[in-house]
Amino acid sequence: MEKKELLKNEQIERLLSPHPLSFMKLQALCIFVIVWGIVVWWLTEFSSYATIFSGNGVASWYPLMLWGLVLLLVGVVAWLVAIRLSIFLLYLAVFAGAFGLIYWQHWENNTSLFIMVYSVAVSIVGFLIIELYRRSHKYIITNLRIIFKGGVLTKRERTIRYDKIADIDAKQGILGQIFGFGTIIPVSQSGFGLGSDKSFAAGGVEMGTKKAKLFGFAGGGKEVQTPIARSYYELHGVYPYKDVKQLVEGLVQTHVPTQYQKEQVEFQKQQVDIQTQMRDLLHKQVREKPRGNAVKQTNEEEELDEEENESEEKMVMKKTIAEEDAFPPEQVDIQKQMKELLKKQKTVRVAEPEEEKIEEEDADKEEEKEVA
Amino acid sequence: MANVPLDIDVLAGAALAPIIGVVAFWFLQLLFIEIQKRMLSKLRHRHEAFCRFTNFIGILFQTICHALGYTVTRSGIATFHVTVNYGTVEPKKEKTGVVEWIVNSFLLIGPFFIPAGLVLLFSYFVIGKGFTFPTPVHYTFVESLINFGVSLSAFAHELIGFLTHIDLFNPLHVGFLFVLLFFGLGIRPSYIGEDRKAKIDMIYDLKNIFYHIRKKPLYILLIILGLYAFYFLSLFLNQNWYMVLFSVFGWISLTAIIALLLTYLLLFLIRSTDHIRGWWKAVSYLTVPVSYVIARIIFLYYPVRQGDSISLLLMIVCTCIVTILLIKYKKTNRFKTATKMKHVRVADGKKRASKKRAD
Repeated sequence: MEKKELLKNEQIERLLSPHPLSFMKLQALCIFVIVWGIVVWWLTEFSSYATIFSGNGVASWYPLMLWGLVLLLVGVVAWLVAIRLSIFLLYLAVFAGAFGLIYWQHWENNTSLFIMVYSVAVSIVGFLIIELYRRSHKYIITNLRIIFKGGVLTKRERTIRYDKIADIDAKQGILGQIFGFGTIIPVSQSGFGLGSDKSFAAGGVEMGTKKAKLFGFAGGGKEVQTPIARSYYELHGVYPYKDVKQLVEGLVQTHVPTQYQKEQVEFQKQQVDIQTQMRDLLHKQVREKPRGNAVKQTNEEEELDEEENESEEKMVMKKTIAEEDAFPPEQVDIQKQMKELLKKQKTVRVAEPEEEKIEEEDADKEEEKEVA
Repeated sequence: MANVPLDIDVLAGAALAPIIGVVAFWFLQLLFIEIQKRMLSKLRHRHEAFCRFTNFIGILFQTICHALGYTVTRSGIATFHVTVNYGTVEPKKEKTGVVEWIVNSFLLIGPFFIPAGLVLLFSYFVIGKGFTFPTPVHYTFVESLINFGVSLSAFAHELIGFLTHIDLFNPLHVGFLFVLLFFGLGIRPSYIGEDRKAKIDMIYDLKNIFYHIRKKPLYILLIILGLYAFYFLSLFLNQNWYMVLFSVFGWISLTAIIALLLTYLLLFLIRSTDHIRGWWKAVSYLTVPVSYVIARIIFLYYPVRQGDSISLLLMIVCTCIVTILLIKYKKTNRFKTATKMKHVRVADGKKRASKKRAD
């Protein structure tokens, strides 16, 4: 990552990419093609069943039919289990490629050997593509945000600030537990990173064939909300999983305000509001007052600025009340409003977290630590 | 019932012989497991992932055995959870007494026999012979012991014969070898931890089992009585059931021992390659399949008798020679430092020369 891409005061904590074995689901598809290609070769050439597959004409196509049938069957099962049509389409393309090559080059006599070589070649290409895909992932953990970068042809990027992370989902499979990698999905407050698993089952029955027909149909669906994201938008298969998880959780924790901090912010906001209103009122008072009194009022304004000293504030109040008769009714209104604001400021201060309580809590925590 | 004289040897001795045989083989199995554990604990710091993998297999089998215990006793399984570090099985109904004892027996003794039993089942389909049961004639302690030994030796002969003639171009044979190695790494109930602990010890397992037996001696007595009842039933019906039962347990132990011996070869190879520098160690591993394939291709054009076995032998010999040569010429530098010593000297400001030059 280039330095100019970083924000002000931003520092890179970790640069990560997925573990080589983190895309095992995809790699398993290639492994299956290799293994099945070798098994078919052995079955049709060296096993005791080799005689079934020997011969010219239609029999020469038997190995390809057996290989393709099982390949497509596994593709269908994988499609239904993983809910990914692409797996089936991929296997279909592999089968179509083999069929096309044999037909085009007239390799009908050496089908089984071709299948073995073709399976190995296709799988190697598959492994290379997966590796390329893996290397296209880049995760950057900085002190302010997580940046997900990726894409082989189309470049994608996602940035999430720690204060916008609502939830962290972490998972580690058996392979991940053995090799120490895992996936972390930061779910944003807008729900990015949450998906749903949908399953649908349906059945139908038809009775009677001639005149009276009875047809029944039943179906049902289920949807489960689950943290799910594309590998480009999650920390997919990062190593070392435990350290990265701890780092992300720690950074999120530092960026999420606690209840006390929230109260503090709220209190300060109220204080600023009151002070702004008071300032406006004072300005108004100065503008509307006769010149002789203006000097007095500025003195009062200066005194009011020193809000911390309550006794002084009381003095100012007395002065303003005493001079009420000398001022026009607008001035009296302003002074009344100021009085109310001062009262409000006092009441807000009551809600301020008591230092004693905090001290007591700290003392309790220290005691607990000592006991531990 | 066969014409058997009723004396103490027939009434007690003949039934005792296979029990002693099974216990003896089980102790032998424990000893081999102990050696494997020691080898694995020495590998731990360099091959963390491999040890975690073996732990996982061991824990998986142990948890399955525990769950099997709950299933057999009809306690039901509420939760089943297996990770690399631990496994958890919780019953639906918490039962005590005999049921609890049976469940604990499955947990403690099951891992020694159940994985190996599965390998035995697989070997029956792959080998298909050597599973013989000699019928006793005189029903004496010595004869029972001999019959037990004969049954075991016939099986061992077939299994070892199969392994020495294994055809690694046959997917079924390769599959069997993988299963043997896979289960061999998991035939151990204890966990190889990150630190050296007493839990690794064989004594730990034995202590647990003996405590389990000692806790309820009545149950053990009942089991022995049950076995004797089964023996007498076999005797009266003139059947070989009693010997069959113990022969199967003996085969299981033998299968486990052979699987463990095979894993030793793997562990030994891993340990040896640790002495080799960087990527050179990959050469050792690659020699295994490459040498076998070359040997098989040569024997395909120049056929010889026992070509499979010779290929296997050549594979082992080639791997050993290559590994030894690599250890000799490409040995890793154990005292390797993060920074080169030369740079340290320069940074230190004192350029040290050898004594000869100084002179």
